[in-house]
Amino acid sequence: MPLIELKEVSKIYRTGNLEVPALTDISLSFNAGEFAVLAGPSGSGKTTALNLIGCLDRPTSGQVLLDGKDMGEAKSKELANFRLQHIGFIFQSYNLIPVLTAAENAEFTLMLRGVAHAKRRQRVKQLFDELGISGLENRKPADLSGGQQQRVAIARAIAAEPHVILADEPTANLDSHTAEDLLALMRRLNTERGTTFLFSSHDDRVIAQARRVIRLEDGRLYDDTGLLT
Amino acid sequence: MDTFRLAWKNLWRNRRRTLITLTAIAFSIMLVQASHNLSFGVYERMVDSGVRAGSGHIAVYRDGYLDGREETLNFNDGNLVNEIEALEGVSRVLPRLYIPGLAQSSRESRGILLIGVDPEREKLFNPFLQKLTDDEMIRSTDARDAIIGWRLMDELQIRPGQKFVVTAQHSDGTLHGELLRVRGVVQSGIKDIDSSLIMVGRERAALLIGQPGKTHELAIILRTAKLDRQVFPKVAELVKKQPELQAVAWETAMPNLANAIKLDYASSQFIFLIILAIVTIGVINTLLMSVMERMREFGVILALGSTPLRLRWTILVEACLLGAVAALLGSLLGSLATWYLWSVGINLETFVPETLEFGGVVFEPVLRATWDIAWMIKIAFYVVGLTLLASLYPAVKAGRIAPVEAMRHH
Repeated sequence: MPLIELKEVSKIYRTGNLEVPALTDISLSFNAGEFAVLAGPSGSGKTTALNLIGCLDRPTSGQVLLDGKDMGEAKSKELANFRLQHIGFIFQSYNLIPVLTAAENAEFTLMLRGVAHAKRRQRVKQLFDELGISGLENRKPADLSGGQQQRVAIARAIAAEPHVILADEPTANLDSHTAEDLLALMRRLNTERGTTFLFSSHDDRVIAQARRVIRLEDGRLYDDTGLLT
Repeated sequence: MDTFRLAWKNLWRNRRRTLITLTAIAFSIMLVQASHNLSFGVYERMVDSGVRAGSGHIAVYRDGYLDGREETLNFNDGNLVNEIEALEGVSRVLPRLYIPGLAQSSRESRGILLIGVDPEREKLFNPFLQKLTDDEMIRSTDARDAIIGWRLMDELQIRPGQKFVVTAQHSDGTLHGELLRVRGVVQSGIKDIDSSLIMVGRERAALLIGQPGKTHELAIILRTAKLDRQVFPKVAELVKKQPELQAVAWETAMPNLANAIKLDYASSQFIFLIILAIVTIGVINTLLMSVMERMREFGVILALGSTPLRLRWTILVEACLLGAVAALLGSLLGSLATWYLWSVGINLETFVPETLEFGGVVFEPVLRATWDIAWMIKIAFYVVGLTLLASLYPAVKAGRIAPVEAMRHH
């Protein structure tokens, strides 16, 4: 059974009387351990697809199945809990909480899960060592570079060991060298830990790193290099 | 604990704004606490002065006497004075006779109120008599010595040491006169008293109306006004032995003073209400601004898996912390202000005459606060509650946002 399944999913945004289709009849499946990219130009529906997969939004029609469970009917509390237990997020603009230190940001999902403080700190230390940001634990996001902030965001996303990590244009705000390093890091986590990565990008150099490329255009599925088996 | 730490950090996100709000709330608390304590300090002095010159903290009358001050409604106090004085908390019992009459000198006559008192007891407690020397006091309860209001003395065109006659209705229906001599002069500052008061020994007054041993009022002075709730039932119990008698609190015996205080405090409370309403608006503004500028962050927190309830809880805790810090700071400032007003006070001597009159009572023109710790704590908790109440709307609003839409905020 696929980890993630989209069945004829459409999403239409309504602005007053205007209807804007963001996704039209998309059917996709992802297995555990994939390292896949949703590629396409701006406005192609990449972010909308990631939001639907991440249970941050509901489809206008069609089904989003996660681990075989239809998330369309779930209540917002259930969705929040599902996200907490199964999904990690990496955002384009890092979205770290500015009042918290790097370590507190990284342990945020663990805190939401109710993990004890000492255990959280231990896990964060281990992750910071692994991600090459050791020593930055007590710095506030404003005192970190873009690359360091994104590494903290990755630490936050993987700290609770979710089944899948969704990353929306994770390298868009980084210089090419830092972006390459970060992608290498994500690949390493995918290979060594088997963490499923699903990210969006319109940058060909980033897309080239993915093992599976799903191209979207105008909200429709344009090309899919295939399901990893 | 994590929620508290996060809320505390959020509170100081915009340090300047939080400090301004905190200062505004703390100053409001200080203002409300200090004003309340000053008002109650002044009321306490007024009541103290009022009860000493008037009915006492508790008074005993014949049933119906207070309705029309009918002279015939007097009573024989028997051993009641001693029994009441033996009660815990009672400082003194002052028996008095009140007789309306006519004072005549060789040149003028005036309507007066003759008060028959026990001079020994009265001298220690009645503020009208406290400035008089021993030579100016009534020497015994049956002496012909009189203490007289200075205006009345002027109007009668007499001087200390000179004689005058007081005429009143005897119990047999005829008019009786008593020759009295001015011994002391009272300058109370209250026009009605200064132009109508004559104080004589109780026995002399009773002779005038042919009612020896009779009393109209037992004015009971307590050690502190706060003891009235404890002492009142005990006095009422003692008084029950004579079914025609009743014990009344000073508020009933001196409705003018009680109403003046009530009215004054009502206007103070109205001002407190306005101050607290302004504080509430300030808190709503701070919290709402803080919530609005964090929409994107709330979207991220919800996306990461926080429930809306947890998010709301964090905002409520933020408000609670803001209120608690403000309450502590405000109460500290309120205590400092109260301490100053209690130990130094506000001296109005340069603005007003020697004595101030309010609700028919005179007191010194130095306003001093009292400590009402229970009320100070109550108002501090009230402000914390108000802050929590003010945070409800921002908290509900934050919990309602959709993560995707919130994350689009910039």
